[in-house]
Amino acid sequence: MEEGCSYASDATNSANKAEASKFLANLPSRGLFSSTVTSSNMGGIRVYISGRDTSAPEHQVIKTDQMNILIRSLTLKKQKGDTKGVILAEGSRKRVFERSADGRASAKRATTNTQNVSQQEASNNRASDNFQSLTVERLRALLKERGLPTKGKKDELISKLRSAKN
Amino acid sequence: MSIWNYVVTAHKPTNVTHSCVGNFTSPQELNLIIAKCTRIEIHLLTPQGLQPMLDVPIYGRIATLELFRSHGEAQDFLFIATERYKFCVLQWDPETSELVTRAMGDVSDRIGRPTDNGQIGIIDPDCRLIGLHLYDGLFKVIPFDNKGQLKEAFNIRLEELQVLDIKFLYGCTRPTIVVLYQDNKDARHVKTYEVSLKDKDFVEGPWSQNNLDNGADLLIPVPLPLCGVIIVGEETIVYCSATAFKAIPIRPSITRAYGRVDADGSRYLLGDHAGLLHLLVITHEKEKVTGLKIELLGETSIASTISYLDNAFVYIGSSYGDSQLIKLNLQPDAKGSYVEVLERYVNLGPIVDFCVVDLERQGQGQVVTCSGAYKDGSLRIVRNGIGINEQASVELQGIKGMWSLRSSTDDLYDTFLVVSFISETRILAMNLEDELEETEIEGFDSQVQTLFSHDAVYNQLVQVTSSSVRLVSSISRELRNEWKAPSGYSVNVATANATQVLLATGGGHLVYLEIGDGVLSEVKHAQLEYEISCLDINPIGEDPNYSQLAVVGMWTDISVQIFSLPDLNLITKEHLGGEIIPRSVLLCSFEGLSYLLCALGDGHLLSFILNLGTGELTDRKKVSLGTQPIILRTFSSKNTTHVFAASDRPTVIYSSNKKLLYSNVNLKEVSHMCPFNSAAFPDSLAIAKEGELTIGTIDDIQKLHIRSITLGEHARRICHQEQTRTFAICSLKYNQASAEESEMHFVRLLDDQTFDCISTYPLDTFECGCSILSCSFSDDSNVYYCVGTAYVLPEENEPTKGRILVFAVEDGKLQLIAEKETKGAVYSLNAFNGKLLAAINQKIQLYKWMLRDDGTRELQSECGHHGHILALYVQTRGDFIVVGDLMKSISLLIYKHEEGAIEERARDYNANWMSAVEILDDDIYLGAENNFNLFTVRKNSEGATDEERARLEVVGEYHLGEFVNRFQHGSLVMRLPDSDVGQIPTVIFGTVNGVIGVIASLPHEQYLFLEKLQSNLRKVIKGVGGLSHEHWRSFYNEKKTVDARNFLDGDLIESFLDLSRARMDDISKAMGVSVEELCKRVEELTRLH
Repeated sequence: MEEGCSYASDATNSANKAEASKFLANLPSRGLFSSTVTSSNMGGIRVYISGRDTSAPEHQVIKTDQMNILIRSLTLKKQKGDTKGVILAEGSRKRVFERSADGRASAKRATTNTQNVSQQEASNNRASDNFQSLTVERLRALLKERGLPTKGKKDELISKLRSAKN
Repeated sequence: MSIWNYVVTAHKPTNVTHSCVGNFTSPQELNLIIAKCTRIEIHLLTPQGLQPMLDVPIYGRIATLELFRSHGEAQDFLFIATERYKFCVLQWDPETSELVTRAMGDVSDRIGRPTDNGQIGIIDPDCRLIGLHLYDGLFKVIPFDNKGQLKEAFNIRLEELQVLDIKFLYGCTRPTIVVLYQDNKDARHVKTYEVSLKDKDFVEGPWSQNNLDNGADLLIPVPLPLCGVIIVGEETIVYCSATAFKAIPIRPSITRAYGRVDADGSRYLLGDHAGLLHLLVITHEKEKVTGLKIELLGETSIASTISYLDNAFVYIGSSYGDSQLIKLNLQPDAKGSYVEVLERYVNLGPIVDFCVVDLERQGQGQVVTCSGAYKDGSLRIVRNGIGINEQASVELQGIKGMWSLRSSTDDLYDTFLVVSFISETRILAMNLEDELEETEIEGFDSQVQTLFSHDAVYNQLVQVTSSSVRLVSSISRELRNEWKAPSGYSVNVATANATQVLLATGGGHLVYLEIGDGVLSEVKHAQLEYEISCLDINPIGEDPNYSQLAVVGMWTDISVQIFSLPDLNLITKEHLGGEIIPRSVLLCSFEGLSYLLCALGDGHLLSFILNLGTGELTDRKKVSLGTQPIILRTFSSKNTTHVFAASDRPTVIYSSNKKLLYSNVNLKEVSHMCPFNSAAFPDSLAIAKEGELTIGTIDDIQKLHIRSITLGEHARRICHQEQTRTFAICSLKYNQASAEESEMHFVRLLDDQTFDCISTYPLDTFECGCSILSCSFSDDSNVYYCVGTAYVLPEENEPTKGRILVFAVEDGKLQLIAEKETKGAVYSLNAFNGKLLAAINQKIQLYKWMLRDDGTRELQSECGHHGHILALYVQTRGDFIVVGDLMKSISLLIYKHEEGAIEERARDYNANWMSAVEILDDDIYLGAENNFNLFTVRKNSEGATDEERARLEVVGEYHLGEFVNRFQHGSLVMRLPDSDVGQIPTVIFGTVNGVIGVIASLPHEQYLFLEKLQSNLRKVIKGVGGLSHEHWRSFYNEKKTVDARNFLDGDLIESFLDLSRARMDDISKAMGVSVEELCKRVEELTRLH
């Protein structure tokens, strides 16, 4: 690439010597190894024998989540499904990412535009988005949770949910 | 030998695998922490250099060692993960000087294939999580909460199966890893992933880079503000980030280690496979990387780890050679190197082969190892005990005592050596030619035996004989004063220092004199109830010339008594127990502690800690030093005082970390010793032994002495030939000068004293030495070196051709006498019934040594045995042959003379991949395998059925945690037939980490006793980081984990001696055995190595 780089490790190249000196300047120092006589006796080191119980505090004995990765990811997705919707069922991770990114972006806009319009609205926006994306079955389940009548078309169901929320 | 074995380390691991620098022991202190496989060492960085602090045994093989700083903490914590999937986080408690376990856990998974390229453990620079890559296709995350506590770990699926390296990137809002991997077309790429802790999954990272250098295998994350990662390949180095990509070509090399120099990550040290150290510089304008530069700095040992310490000092940890402390100089030296090696730390690893020899023919074994690899290969001579380097010796029979005297009080050196005989006293002195010649001191009585002699103040000398005490001027050498024993009494024992004389006459009279200028005055006299056997007034208090205490050993009631001086009041009386009288007592002080040593007539030594103020004796301990009476004397070496115990087994007693240690002196029998520090022989000792007087200097006072013979090439096999006093080695030299890296193999002959290479036989191209043996054949009185070789051709998976070469040593030259081609690699050679037994690939083959008609000799195949995968290790005993197979454990073969055939008798049906075998006795065989385990199998000749007899029964199992390359019968210590320990047969082993260990077969009774002690010690000594000793020593491989049996951990048992008294008492209570007895029995075991 650049001229100084080519096989710089050639020991006989004296031009590079100066280079190395330049780069070796200002090596970090905190005042250690400053004495001219350095005595380093690595022998005669004390062998440690622990004088007390060495077990960790109980809550810091770490175990691994034994759940199978596949099952875990399914359950995680299921949990998300409660709020995020079932788009996952359509199989595109990417779209979820885009969606949620949009949601975030809009939320950001909301908070920056008017400070009074709080995040609640933003989350409503997102929620309404989500309602639209849910299946009728899912919407019915949500209505049932809220003790509302579960009959009607999809739009009706969404408006019922919205009014219940507001 | 027996099935009850005791495994102990004689030389600890020295292979440095990891190192890191941080504020571990205090926020202000900077530490270097080094991992040596199963131990970590903590050092302190000081203005004067490295100061060792602590050596911590870890119950596991260390796979990861990282320091990290949790949020809001002032000092670093240490994260350690072991190869058996345990981890712990350690914190230093400066108040108690203890290691506190902050967290620990087991990170193993039930399913999963262990990674091929070793375990990876990394910590997010912002301390959000610990990442572990232990199994292919899985990345384990241990998250931190915001208080720095660890939470439950979880696995994430990692698509890349052949991972070469993983690192965390700096400066990312979410923890981000960069993965270097190889795809199934062998191309290498890097990829980044964000770790989403909420979803417990990866999210595609900010960037990736495909098709890197084919040899790329190291990632260096660059800290803020530059960020990004450096990818080190074999031919290029690349800097990569989301916004930049810079590359430079390098001379082809494999980078083994890196160390960051600057906190901002602009300079790095890189160490390659040839031991060359480079400086890598990232050039940048503000935060924009503009390029890379690399400069050669010089040569070091082949680094496995590099830690920049401070002020241009760098620690180079090595697996293949000695570790080093180097300094980077601003200007190159004459050879153009910027590297100055200031310190070398001995590393024996990897011990590929070794032999046990007795070069000095004293009955003292020495181990000569093939250590190191590549350019750092060497031979190491490891010797136990303290040697005396003889300077001069005179034949003198019947020496009864020796003392050195100075010619004036201020003289630095000793001039006279008073040698006492049964009926005369002779004075030796250094003359002007620095020779020892006989002289005279007129004031001394030379017609009688001297009981004691000493320098005294005012340029005087003291001589005590049975009838009088004589005070003599050291200048005029004339008598100045004399104290005569009362008539009818004669002096039996006496002692003196510069101002005091204490003597005992028959009838229990104790007389105390003080020395003035030309005056000897009797100050006090006391009558004791029994006869006095020995006494001492060595001054160990504040005044170096005057002792406040006198110690007296008594006949009849077998006690020692301490008197105050000058009034001779009894302060303390201690009964010694038993029926053996004390023969020598000594007051001495080591490392600020005062001791009373008391030697008994049967070779036992009692030690007490002495309170100088009250005369109180505590911490009584008893050890056995020999079987004959001991005479104790102090001497100085390197400004430290030690004690010499002269007896049939001379011993030096010294102190380390406030603990008394006993190291044997490599001399057979010493009757008397006195320090003789003359101008010609400074710091020497005069030693009376076996009819001669020797003056010599003493080795450094330490247990093992290691001498290095640098070869500059890699020795792989070694053997010694007693008759020709030579060693032969198989070695290989890497030729790095030429463009194509090539290796050359040699058989070399070395002199066994000078270790000079006196003859070389180069092997053919592609031929490498696999085995070497010194042997003789039936019908031929000559001794030969036999070398087994293999032609290792690049296109073959297994060698199909090899040779057996038979050499004779003639006039110091290797002469090829015969050669025999084989159909494979000759992995092992053994002398067998006057024939040669070779292991060649799958086959065991026996060769006869035949005389041809023309008088030349040849090897002729007699019989063989097939049926192994690869017969790698073979040992023989009588007609039995024990084979260690590549992957089919141990099998036992027998040679049938009548039929001239070799048949299989029995085998172990486990699938152990062997690394060494040895025959312990007729029925018990020892094996080491590649999961770092030891096991013993037993021949079942009493089995009822053929099936039972054909099975070698596994009788002992143990996890050593070390990869054993070789077993050899023998011992590192002088074996005396009349001591208990002398009866215990031992096997020595050498490992990849540089460990030399001893396996001792114990009698059953002793084994049971020690087993009980071990289980009690397990309860008292807890493993660092909460690691369990029981788990650590359990036999472990892919198929099974079972508790250790019929093996004891000597390292744990011998740590009993390092325990505090209170904890010794606890164990003593639990065992129902006195502390003194426990100490004595454990101390005896320490004499095995």
